[in-house]
Amino acid sequence: MQSRDRIRLKSALGAAAFGAALFAAGLAQAKTITVWCWDPNFNVAIMKEAGARYTKAHPDVTIEIVDFSKPDVEQKLQAGLASGVAEALPDIVLIEDYGAQKYLQSFPGSFAPLSGTVDYSGFAPYKVELMTLDGEVYGMPFDSGVTGLFYRKDYIEAAGYTAADMQNLTWDKFIEIGKAVEAKTGKKMLGYDTSDAGLTRIIMQSAGQWYFDKEGGLAIEGNAALKAALDVQKKIQEAGIYKPATGWNDWVAKFTSGDVAAVVTGVWITGTIKAQAEQSGKWGVAPIPTVDVPGAVAASNLGGSSWYVLASSDVKDEAIDLLDTVYAKDVDFYQTILQDRGAVGSLLAARTGAAYDTPDAFFGGEKIWQSFSKWLGEIPAVNYGIFTNEVDAAVAVQLPKLGKGESVDAAIEAIAAQAKVQVQ
Amino acid sequence: MSPSRLATRAGIYAFLGLFAFLSVFPFLWMIVGMTNRTGDIILGRFTLGDAFLENARNFFEQADAPLVFWNSAKIAILGTIATLAVSSIAGYGFEIFRSPARERIYGVLLLTIMIPFAVLMIPLFVIMGKLGLINTHIAVILPTVASGFVVFYFRQATKAFPSELRDAARVDGLKEWQIFLYIYVPTMRSTYAAAFVIVFMTAWNNYLWPLIVLQTNDKKTITLAISSLASAYYPDYGVVMVGALVATLPTLFVFFIMQRQFVQGMLGSVK
Repeated sequence: MQSRDRIRLKSALGAAAFGAALFAAGLAQAKTITVWCWDPNFNVAIMKEAGARYTKAHPDVTIEIVDFSKPDVEQKLQAGLASGVAEALPDIVLIEDYGAQKYLQSFPGSFAPLSGTVDYSGFAPYKVELMTLDGEVYGMPFDSGVTGLFYRKDYIEAAGYTAADMQNLTWDKFIEIGKAVEAKTGKKMLGYDTSDAGLTRIIMQSAGQWYFDKEGGLAIEGNAALKAALDVQKKIQEAGIYKPATGWNDWVAKFTSGDVAAVVTGVWITGTIKAQAEQSGKWGVAPIPTVDVPGAVAASNLGGSSWYVLASSDVKDEAIDLLDTVYAKDVDFYQTILQDRGAVGSLLAARTGAAYDTPDAFFGGEKIWQSFSKWLGEIPAVNYGIFTNEVDAAVAVQLPKLGKGESVDAAIEAIAAQAKVQVQ
Repeated sequence: MSPSRLATRAGIYAFLGLFAFLSVFPFLWMIVGMTNRTGDIILGRFTLGDAFLENARNFFEQADAPLVFWNSAKIAILGTIATLAVSSIAGYGFEIFRSPARERIYGVLLLTIMIPFAVLMIPLFVIMGKLGLINTHIAVILPTVASGFVVFYFRQATKAFPSELRDAARVDGLKEWQIFLYIYVPTMRSTYAAAFVIVFMTAWNNYLWPLIVLQTNDKKTITLAISSLASAYYPDYGVVMVGALVATLPTLFVFFIMQRQFVQGMLGSVK
């Protein structure tokens, strides 16, 4: 009896598997490329544009974009990869850069290397580095979080400084200007959330290091860049040149409302700043301030994401071809997504297009996209490792203590201790 | 009323008022937020605005509202009916029929309530993959049908079901399934109503499992659609609030129609 049941179950499973196989074969003929990403107004819209460009030349291919929220995409990807159920995975998936190595290293063989097909020399080097594992490059670099120092010209001028003074700043000079701005205008220099490790990451990468060394090992103690990043933030807190912000929305409100004179963050904030039409002409953009660490530059990154092709995809070749044709070669595409969506891609040649060369009246006629594109090529490449979020949490615990007298060395020691426990 | 009793009364009302406020506040915030633009919501504006129509239009443009609503409704209603059917029979059976192994099996069943779903997720996903059910609504419904909690609930309720009724039915020549269908189900109407409300709410709000098992836009439920609206880099909170309202209405509706039976069911069907 028992064995007969088992046979029956087996044949049912067999029939189901056969059905699934037929279903998959049907899909292969129609050549549908399924893409998972997460923001309807940003990467979803941009992938739609890319798909439209590609299917014009390849009418046999259709692109199906499925949007879930970012944590949801991650959860689904994790479930699909961990269960090994191939039909549960898309053909192309968008992954945030900080998490790329986690997926590449945890699920070896699950993503298709693109090194043979794509010419990576045209992309910002830091973008290529973060998706490289054992000599193979996976993924197609997408949006960049190249950073800049956005500042209110009117407040800076009232404090007795000019736009020229804002170039080639050190963080010490930045703090000095901040004090002058407060003395003259009563405004604070920055909105600053001590529970967010964003500024730590910006400064650390500008000095060419990360929480991890090139081999992926923890590099907290003896990390000059991290030390400099914490040092700057201790000084900012002690100088009191910031308005405390609680969470993202509050932080955004600090500069959209005109309460602070500067913002140091990724280029993707440009749209939010420009949304305040009444502030047109009052804003300028400069390179971020530098720290005194050998190799430190005035360029860094915050956030950003890239496209990856799943090795299990039955339309792998088409998926790779789509990414290569549009994202690696189509300069005009980058003009469209910059104009329509404010997206700064990672293809350096994009800056030769018309949209990148347009002066922006909101920023007093500056060609800000040319500047960002130039900084994009200068961002130091680091290894984002697989535990960035865990160490971030350890950093966020220590940041508020810096302003209350804790020494930078003590903070680093505490971060290292917490990180070691979480990373194991 | 004496002053001390008055003070006690006042204290009770203050306490209840505080908790009533805490429960009602999110709804108020949702209603007010729905009529405001995102910028105002972030700044904490708590007065009715004039952006409701704009938000509603944007919501229906950005999310395929009729489709995701229909998907959610289908899953919730079919899932609830299937769960009540299967789990009530089980609860009835556990109480009525005696066997030496009964309590041990029942204990194991209760243990399943204590296993967090995240642990079951991947194995369940593999099973659904082998059955070829990934990206179907059946895959969303099936794992909820045999619910340890609902079996427990029905067994507890069945304890009040008089054995005389069953004996009388037997004498009259009814078969076991007829007793269940014609005697038990009508008698336990309000127990069913209460269970319906609980199971429907759980099914309607279910998030993690549909997220994992559903793959395409045309299968998505309303909770998934709202989640993707809410997590854009620059979410339009006014639109999200409209979505939240649309998603809340059915559970409110179900609760209010069944409110009387729900309370009765909680107190026990058989007097």
